[in-house]
Amino acid sequence: MSSSTSVGTGEHPAVVLTGITKRFPGVVANSDVHLTVRRGEVHALCGENGAGKSTLMKILYGMQPPDEGTIEVNGEQVRFRTPSDAIKAGIGMVHQHFMLADNLTVQENVVLGAEALHGIGQKARRRIIELSGKTGLNVDPGVLVEQLGVADRQRVEILKVLYRGAKVIILDEPTAVLVPQEVNELFDTVRGMQEQGYTFLFISHKLDEVRAIADSVTVIRRGTTVGSADPKTVSSRQLAEMMVGSELPSPETRESTVTDTVVLDVKGLRLMTPDGSRPILDDIDMVVRSGEVVGIAGVEGNGQTELVETIMGMRKAGSGTITLQDQDLTKLGTLARREAGIGYVPEDRHRHGLLLTQPLWYNRILGYQTRRPTAKGIWLDTDGAKKDTERIVADFDVRTPGIDVPAAALSGGNQQKLVVGRELSGDPVLLIASHPTRGVDVGAQALIWDEIKRARAAGLAVLLISADLDELIGLSDTIKVMLRGRLVADADPSTVTPEDLGSAMTGAGSTSAAVQETAVVEEGEN
Amino acid sequence: MISTLEEKPHIPAAPRKRKVPGWAVAMLGVAGAIALLSITSYQTNFPQLTSSGTTQTAVRLALPILLAGLGGLWAERAGVVNIGLEGMMIMGTWGAAWAGYQWGPWAALVAAVVFGSLGGLLHAIATVTFGVNHIVSGVAINLLGAGLTKYLSTLIFLPLSNNPRQSPPVQSFDTFSAAGLGDWLGELEADQRLFISDVAGILRGLVTGVSPLTMIAILLLPLSYWLLWRTRFGLRLRSVGENPHAADSLGVKVYFHKYVAVIVSGGLAGLGGAALVLNPGQLSYLEGQTGGRGYIGLAAMIFGNWRPGGLLGGAALFGYADGLQLRSGGETVLALVYGVVLLLGVIVVWQLFRRKWFSAAAAIAVAVLMYLLYISLDEIPSEFVSYAPHMVTLAVLAVASQRLRMPAADGLVYRRG
Ligand SMILES: Nc1ncnc2c1ncn2[C@@H]1O[C@H](COP(=O)(O)OP(=O)(O)OP(=O)(O)O)[C@@H](O)[C@H]1O
Ligand SMILES: [Mg+2]
Repeated sequence: MSSSTSVGTGEHPAVVLTGITKRFPGVVANSDVHLTVRRGEVHALCGENGAGKSTLMKILYGMQPPDEGTIEVNGEQVRFRTPSDAIKAGIGMVHQHFMLADNLTVQENVVLGAEALHGIGQKARRRIIELSGKTGLNVDPGVLVEQLGVADRQRVEILKVLYRGAKVIILDEPTAVLVPQEVNELFDTVRGMQEQGYTFLFISHKLDEVRAIADSVTVIRRGTTVGSADPKTVSSRQLAEMMVGSELPSPETRESTVTDTVVLDVKGLRLMTPDGSRPILDDIDMVVRSGEVVGIAGVEGNGQTELVETIMGMRKAGSGTITLQDQDLTKLGTLARREAGIGYVPEDRHRHGLLLTQPLWYNRILGYQTRRPTAKGIWLDTDGAKKDTERIVADFDVRTPGIDVPAAALSGGNQQKLVVGRELSGDPVLLIASHPTRGVDVGAQALIWDEIKRARAAGLAVLLISADLDELIGLSDTIKVMLRGRLVADADPSTVTPEDLGSAMTGAGSTSAAVQETAVVEEGEN
Repeated sequence: MISTLEEKPHIPAAPRKRKVPGWAVAMLGVAGAIALLSITSYQTNFPQLTSSGTTQTAVRLALPILLAGLGGLWAERAGVVNIGLEGMMIMGTWGAAWAGYQWGPWAALVAAVVFGSLGGLLHAIATVTFGVNHIVSGVAINLLGAGLTKYLSTLIFLPLSNNPRQSPPVQSFDTFSAAGLGDWLGELEADQRLFISDVAGILRGLVTGVSPLTMIAILLLPLSYWLLWRTRFGLRLRSVGENPHAADSLGVKVYFHKYVAVIVSGGLAGLGGAALVLNPGQLSYLEGQTGGRGYIGLAAMIFGNWRPGGLLGGAALFGYADGLQLRSGGETVLALVYGVVLLLGVIVVWQLFRRKWFSAAAAIAVAVLMYLLYISLDEIPSEFVSYAPHMVTLAVLAVASQRLRMPAADGLVYRRG
């Protein structure tokens, strides 16, 4: 191992990783990785699912010890035993999967571990409110994290890092859960902080974003660094080729397969907040037909999550009916609804999709515990489950050493592929997909899109919720815009642009003929 | 590209409603409970329900439950289920007796804490370091506690007391009473006036025969609250019980905090054991003395929704049921059934008001059943009476369990990485 730190201008790079190797049972997550991050830059890290990006960052953050290799921060060699060592060295990390305690308040989550700075009382509270502005978080620090949506949780995560005064900030797929407007806001924050001398390590599968924000890009493939690129000159296509060696996919789906058969019929659906003060879902009417993809566009927190969870029976509707192929689902439980033929890709795979500590084949059984091939009569069929898991792993290209490893050992994108694969098995008649390609790389994204398209051509009805407007426009046959718990507009995916959609989503009113406001809103605005 | 950065229609999380502060709710609860008992004792002609004697016994019996519950609170807030409280309590009783007959009550307390903590340490080693299932380890500790003390008693107490199941008598604490106040309250109590006499009786019970141990136990409650909710140490401890991965990622020493919590938990359970041994009625170690109070302590904590205030309520409730049964027997417990009917009546009205038809119907059904029980029996059979606290536990947990919120990572084994 040769440490080749160039001290060129007398200024040390912020971070230098040399020859990092990390092995897990059955996989080498990182092998001989070299990475140099200059001070004050935004350094992007690209690579397909399971390439080892998160692992590398966890090593830099002291969460996992490297098997080999050295870490230098500001020219000094360091060895981090725990994250607190890394925090002391000025490194902070926003994790790919939230690291928040739901039952604690925002303030408690933020000050945890850094109580020495401003205590845990009023002083800390004032500091948090001060910093909140930077991240665009506008909730009271005394609110339980449980009550926040994903975008706000993301902000709390960034707040945590800021609060500790980190100078080098790792953002592991921070934009996966954000809508375009929020991404812009985040990037404004990042640029502003960059001017103040902060250094960022940025991971994303969205290559446009990488090119927009990064000053330099390092590409990782199968655990090693395969090269770097200049984001100013490289195209997304070239980047994708460096990462996966294949072309950039597009979700285009032009030939319509929409039929007349109504699969899902939602009428007058209402849902109130737990305290009954205001509606979260306000009189939702919606129809999804066989062979049709209905996309729901909306800024996080406008009721999409609740709509999906109400259709799935995870929340109890105040009034209204839900019908699936002439079967009234309104009074049924979640399992019965699934058995009636609904597949469900939840928005947060860790909260609702997977049992992280259980093996993959065990996760295959979840939600299918009463059906073939994972059950025979009243007994679970473990052999069947294992065989079918093998099929999903092969068909959906889940990168894993085997089906007996716990789900937690899979990289985020591979967990997502497993969930999507599971929910498309058993021939559902309706697929409810919340952010189906969240956190998966461009190659796998194409694969998931293809699978959805294929199922759609075979008559599957799809209700798609996505923060990725290109995905939404590319896959949907009809787009509905959701705002403050109502479906306020319809958009035609063949003509609408992401910008039009974006302004319709924020309620800024649309100027495009492609977005037709529905009657409800016109009345409301008069 | 025109960016559309308009004002976001983001629905902010509902601001927390200005609720009635916790202490006010507690005061209302206490007042309600007293009113209920007072009406019941008046209607059924059983002044014992609120007599100072009953209260005094109730306090004495609630102490071990309170301490065990506090122990449970510490452990579970750090994410370790401690069903081994019973075993730790047993070890506490033995330790208290062993030190107590030789060096007096203060030594008894210290020894009980040490013995209980040892049990806690064992539980911590098993669950935290070796990742043993928390229930399995807890049950093992309960068996071990019972077995070990039996062995030690035969070895050490048998030659002294000629009884392998009992220790030599332990010297008790001097108790003190607020003399003037007590007499005045006694007069009021004797007047038999609705509500006033009842309050006087209960208060008199509270200020008579107070031992230092009672004071310590009562003080430990706010102390625990302050430590767990108002200090940085407590925040870390609770974060470990909510999401150890998040805590770890912020440099919180997860294992360390779990260890501390479980050891403290054992110490508190041990102290609960000492409260049994130093109870004026017994004043020695007896085999099987704990009688499942460790479990009831755990139930009190669950009843209290993993909060100290609720825990106190739970302990008081169970202690009262226990005390009433011990002092006045089956007839009075039957009077309590009448009280339960009254309480259910209030619940029915409340549920109707909230339009929870199903809960209301269920409450009516139970109330009718209870009332039939009340008018058809003369007294509750004694076999049944001794299980009153357990029944109360079951009933309460069945009613309250939907609203309970335990720490998110409670009972899960944590592994780094
Ligand atoms: N705790 C673990 N135990 C076993 N294997 C692991 C563990 N963590 C990661 N791995 C494996 O290491 C490899 C790299 O995972 P990592 O999470 O770093 O990927 P990634 O590049 O972040 O992917 P993604 O884009 O999907 O998040 C994967 O093959 C994964 O299965
Ligand atoms: Mg990752």
